[in-house]
Amino acid sequence: MDEEHDITHRSTTRKEKQMKKNLFYRLAVLAIGAALLLGACGPAAAVAPTEAEAPEESAAEPTEAPAEPTEAPVAEEPCLIIGALYGGPITDAGYNQAMHEAVVAIKENIACVEIIEAENVPDEAGATTTMENMISQGATLIFATAFNHQYPALELAGEHPEVIFEHAGGWEMSSNFANFFGKPPDGWYMMGVAAGMMTETNKLGFVAAFPLGWTSTFINAFELGALSVNPDAQTIVAYTFSWGDRAKEADTTNSLINQGVDVITMHVDSPSTVLSTAESRGVYSIGYQNLAAQQFAPEYWISGTGFTLGGKLTWLTSTVLDGTWKPIFLRCGISDGCMAIGPFGPNVPQEVQDAVAEAQAAIDSGELVVFQGPIVDQDGTVRVADGEVLTDDLMSSVDWFVLGVIGSSK
Amino acid sequence: MSLLSILGVFSSAIFSGTSLLYTTLGEVIHERSGIVNLGLEGVLLVSASSSFAVTVITGSPFLGVLVAMLAGALMNMVLGYLVIHRKANQLATGLALMFFGFGLSAIIGKPYVGMRIDGLPRYALPGLEGLPRLYASLFSFDILIILVMPISILVWWLLFRTRWGLGLRAVGENADTAFASGRNPLLYRYQALALGGLLAGLGAAHLAIAYTMNWTEYMTAGRGFIAVALVIFSRWHPLRAIAGALLFSGAVAFQLLLQSSGAQISPFLLDTTPYFLTLLVLIAWGGNRKQSAPASLGRVYHGSE
Repeated sequence: MDEEHDITHRSTTRKEKQMKKNLFYRLAVLAIGAALLLGACGPAAAVAPTEAEAPEESAAEPTEAPAEPTEAPVAEEPCLIIGALYGGPITDAGYNQAMHEAVVAIKENIACVEIIEAENVPDEAGATTTMENMISQGATLIFATAFNHQYPALELAGEHPEVIFEHAGGWEMSSNFANFFGKPPDGWYMMGVAAGMMTETNKLGFVAAFPLGWTSTFINAFELGALSVNPDAQTIVAYTFSWGDRAKEADTTNSLINQGVDVITMHVDSPSTVLSTAESRGVYSIGYQNLAAQQFAPEYWISGTGFTLGGKLTWLTSTVLDGTWKPIFLRCGISDGCMAIGPFGPNVPQEVQDAVAEAQAAIDSGELVVFQGPIVDQDGTVRVADGEVLTDDLMSSVDWFVLGVIGSSK
Repeated sequence: MSLLSILGVFSSAIFSGTSLLYTTLGEVIHERSGIVNLGLEGVLLVSASSSFAVTVITGSPFLGVLVAMLAGALMNMVLGYLVIHRKANQLATGLALMFFGFGLSAIIGKPYVGMRIDGLPRYALPGLEGLPRLYASLFSFDILIILVMPISILVWWLLFRTRWGLGLRAVGENADTAFASGRNPLLYRYQALALGGLLAGLGAAHLAIAYTMNWTEYMTAGRGFIAVALVIFSRWHPLRAIAGALLFSGAVAFQLLLQSSGAQISPFLLDTTPYFLTLLVLIAWGGNRKQSAPASLGRVYHGSE
């Protein structure tokens, strides 16, 4: 840099023009840099308007909606404009794809709605601008599906009382803001049953992104399921500290396999790399988030659970259309059709499939509750007393592992 | 800890170190010519997304490797035009290139997120065919892993045993002197960037279509910057870069081994091990030896009069 200045100074007398030119280029580069920086930081705002046709009149009144929404013909004016935003790409064969498919199902069931979608909106600032954008395009029902969307949506709910916000997997509530989600722990318990029967080394591997409350709950449910059929089963946990660092996911999967793990499962954004790595090592795997994951492990796939929320989102939409919508915590499980168990892989024996079906029947009938006390953690401390049940609220802040899990949760 | 888990650390170090090593080698070459490329992260992403896209479309991972190399070279040419021809500041241009790469790779890769590909085929090392699959698969390498050591040596030979390498290093030390001895610094820098781009492309291809067999936005997760750091760590020497890349990725594999062997240590702490270890090595080496960064690294060559 110093030399650069020297040269420019030396040439001021003779080449004043060139100095100006240099300065111009430097400014131009900075400007381009700044423009690209801004572009990279705010993709969400740009996505929303391009993906949807802005209606000419934005006043869609939910109360005037047709009485039989399922049979309504495609009108020129949509009966309801729905905005949906996702934290990642909608083709990730994971969580975002599952949420996207659920939103698309609304349109299939209620043809007169119009849907505005925005993917790759991971941060709070992006979520706020994206939702504001959707509202200005006339959206009066918004599905915010990522963890980070909850508080931006809640804040906007206060500013826009005419808009209804539905957020996935949160806990807040207001007069026009509510939450919906599946009941993943039940599915994880069933997958644990399958894993506990399939394993020969009695070691199950869990690739996790971050030590979060829900992740710990999934791991605990998985281990409890495995223990119910195999008292020697252990679940070994390793963290990647990223939702999408694929190379580290592969490293982590291999590391677990090298510890003798012979069934692998995961809680990361997209299961694809973990599944294909396990497949390449000849190790069984269990998917999560979306059932489309099976393609990555054609031979060693055991099963998986995924979200199938299309039916419930359609129902929520119809209540908005007929004016009966109320803020509720909608939590629904496999028996309600909100989550599904994937098809079993080619190497899964019938007895394993039967055991999973049995566990499901017991859960559906209420005879089996996954986090029914007494539950003891790794150190032997009683976390859920005899006769008590771990509540949904507590599940989201779990920072302990049940006895049988190998790893540290904080 | 079993034999399998210890062998596994070596295997993981090789698998995830390969992309780092290719990228580091590329950066060594153009830093030797006096150009810092802070946009490496963007170069990697564009190469990775285009190679993945081509592999999906054509079904041929080898074609994907080729396209990754071309994309890497092309991205570096953009940097070259700005910093060599237009004499822009290298650091600012590099960062701009990185953000450009974020956006461009997202656009290129968008239709291919979540697609399944058959990655580069892996070949079992001779003599290991009889082993159980669990062991044999640890040391079944694809062509990019097999070639990474020979290419490192080739880069060393190019830089330190050929007239071209001498000229390149001369440009990196003092472009005016190199010009006086009849060498064209601009041409050398373009050549270094092109070669570096080809190598970064190989690294990106290994990441996307050999190791993870997947494309996601920002999947490089900082590997471009780690490569820039490894260049300093290896003191601008291609053979020390091998040690640097293996050490870093080995440390990642080792901390994962500690996690998965049930060590009751906070995973947050374990995750910092590779960076901590790198710091320790830098401290141990110290600065007592002569600083070996190319003398005119990062400086604009204004031409000689």
